Amino acid sequence: MSAIGETLRESASVNLSGAVTMVVDDSAFALELTGQALMAFGVRARHACQSAAEAKEILKEQTIDLLLVDCEMPDMDGFELVRWLRRSGLEPNAFVPVIMTAAHIRRQRVSEARDCGASFIITKPFSATTLLERIVWVGRDNRPFLEVGDYFGPDRRFRKAPVPGEERRADLIRKREQEAAAAAEAAGLAEGEAA
Amino acid sequence: MSVITHPVRKSNLATMIGSAGGISVGTALARARANLETMREQALTVIDASITALETVPAPTGPEDMSARREQAYREATSLIDAAGPFELFDLCRAAAGLCDLIGALDPEQPFDWRIVTVHARSLRLLQTLPPEAAPERAHILESLNEVVQRKLAQTG
Repeated sequence: MSAIGETLRESASVNLSGAVTMVVDDSAFALELTGQALMAFGVRARHACQSAAEAKEILKEQTIDLLLVDCEMPDMDGFELVRWLRRSGLEPNAFVPVIMTAAHIRRQRVSEARDCGASFIITKPFSATTLLERIVWVGRDNRPFLEVGDYFGPDRRFRKAPVPGEERRADLIRKREQEAAAAAEAAGLAEGEAA
Repeated sequence: MSVITHPVRKSNLATMIGSAGGISVGTALARARANLETMREQALTVIDASITALETVPAPTGPEDMSARREQAYREATSLIDAAGPFELFDLCRAAAGLCDLIGALDPEQPFDWRIVTVHARSLRLLQTLPPEAAPERAHILESLNEVVQRKLAQTG
């Protein structure tokens, strides 16, 4: 898993073509903006919902791979929707990676944002780069899910460092190239000193 | 308090992201910027409409409609941030976020100086119309707004 804030390399590849995403936002314009970004990232299947009620009906019927929800919505807001989903018992949707987006989070609602069970919250303004980085991050997020009192969701204790695990081939190659270059540089220095 | 830990499960998304095929991050981001650029004009229209709405939200006539008017102003400011954010119109976002900070920090029953909304609406209009090279003027507007917000936030406790 990449660390939070770690930037993606331009040459790294991502495959989101098979991902079924759902975007929930009461603003038609914001829905369209997020949809355009997802389409550019290679996502083909997208559900766009303007209300939590509409989203709930789809979540009961279809498997979703990524959920993007706006925090502030009339009637049922994003926090309530995520809390409902996590407690819904719907398999596998209850465990789906959830990114919440917010133009602003009111002071009184900060604890709700922390406790609703979302995988990550992005505050606007955010760029396409940030969105893609967070999608990759939540996809690779391997925090366990916890039930503690009213809370059901990913472990809220973030690890700052990358989680140890199998390194990707490209990363291994890059690491070996850097080691080889460092070794060559050291050898060159040693030769210079010997001369 | 008891804690139930569910075993770590790899998400479908994780499997897909790392699978063969797909596109490079560079290509994905270039496409995203191009796609979003086609929506710039629409975004500017939304921004303009939000500023107009902020300018024309009627001042509350009493405590009974204060909460509804504040909510209206808050919604317009957040919709402005929604539209301006992807196009990196950060000055507009900062000004609107200041208003949101202030409204969002208040209890519904707390008194509110409506001139704050008027000042923000005027400043947003000015920021919208100033040319990009007017950086000092923009900075001055944002600084003044920030002072107002910080002073009022201090009063709210």
